[in-house]
Amino acid sequence: METGQSARMTTGWVWISTAARLGLAVVWLVAGGLKVGDLAESGRAVNAYEIFPYEVAKVIGAAQPFLEIALGLLLLAGLAVRLSAGISAVLLVVFIAGIISAWTRGLQIDCGCFSSGGTLGAGESPQYTWDIVRDTGFLLLAGLLLWRPRTRYSIDGVLMGEV
Amino acid sequence: MSGKNNRDRAKAKRVVQEQLAKERRRRITLWTSLGVVALLIIVGLVGWGVAAGQESDKTAGLTTPSVAVDDGTAFAVGTGPVKVDIYEDFMCPVCGEFETGAATTIDQLVAANKVTVQYHPIAILDRASSTEYSTRSAAASAAAAQGGKFAEYHRVLFANQPAEGSAGLDNAKLIELGKSVGLTDAAFSDAVNGGTYKAWATKVTDTAASRGVNSTPTVLVGGKALEDRSAQGLTAAVEAAGA
Repeated sequence: METGQSARMTTGWVWISTAARLGLAVVWLVAGGLKVGDLAESGRAVNAYEIFPYEVAKVIGAAQPFLEIALGLLLLAGLAVRLSAGISAVLLVVFIAGIISAWTRGLQIDCGCFSSGGTLGAGESPQYTWDIVRDTGFLLLAGLLLWRPRTRYSIDGVLMGEV
Repeated sequence: MSGKNNRDRAKAKRVVQEQLAKERRRRITLWTSLGVVALLIIVGLVGWGVAAGQESDKTAGLTTPSVAVDDGTAFAVGTGPVKVDIYEDFMCPVCGEFETGAATTIDQLVAANKVTVQYHPIAILDRASSTEYSTRSAAASAAAAQGGKFAEYHRVLFANQPAEGSAGLDNAKLIELGKSVGLTDAAFSDAVNGGTYKAWATKVTDTAASRGVNSTPTVLVGGKALEDRSAQGLTAAVEAAGA
């Protein structure tokens, strides 16, 4: 039996998780939406990290915006929240690692997180610190959902008969 | 006695129900997880397919200008021993600045027969205009090259560079600029209006990316990236490469 206080705590977490879920959904939808219009450009953005050969970078650049949108929709609908949050977390860790890698190698690039990226022109400086802080914030949202995936207005809830 | 039996039975029933519910939740989690993983894989493959489709659409009807060098991806100016590769987008403001600062020096180096300049007109800033000016202008420059006037046309395009975020120059203006450098025949205006070399511009951009050129301007002197793109920097690099 839950005591009154712990029930209130649980309800509180459900709402916090719901906000995190919808927030992360918007992040993915915006990130994917901004890139899906020009997939060739997205491929060049991945290529600018100089990690993968161009042919591989092109495939990653093409698949990534679609994956981001799909994750956004899954989180929006609240379907398989824990798994979606886990995949989000893995992707974010990879993105942060990519930015750190570009930073340590002295590359002058736009991370391409919410744009089509690419190398910066003369007189433009990379925003690596800000990029990493922001992605870490998103990673925290994903971590919270991994820990407490129960949310309101979710398909998971309907399937589990919680509503 | 019977009271205790009833309580035990009720308890057993509750345990069984809880287990069934647990089993059901486990099954739902398993199937939704599998479904989601399959969905993400399919979505990724769709992205790949869409990109491949777009690429083949954009490079369909590829016409490579016969005067192009370097696997048909560049136009050469001059015949000197030191090779200078310049990757530029006619929409890119920094390329405009580079041209303003280095054009005279490039002319002198070409005239002194010290360098062969290979211009690669790439199109990476189509988003910066509402009319894909990067691709259209690169294609127009190919038509100009075919008419024997690449260097002149290239210069006049930068002199008339539209602002980022604008509509870019329309085809009529591109043709008018061609006339101003002596491209008066119908072959040039037809190529601009018909977008004859647009697929070529996409291909040149792709080739450049495969060589690791991700930004404009990228200037290579004797195959080495030029860091200091000022007139002095260029001269020094050419001297060093020629020595």
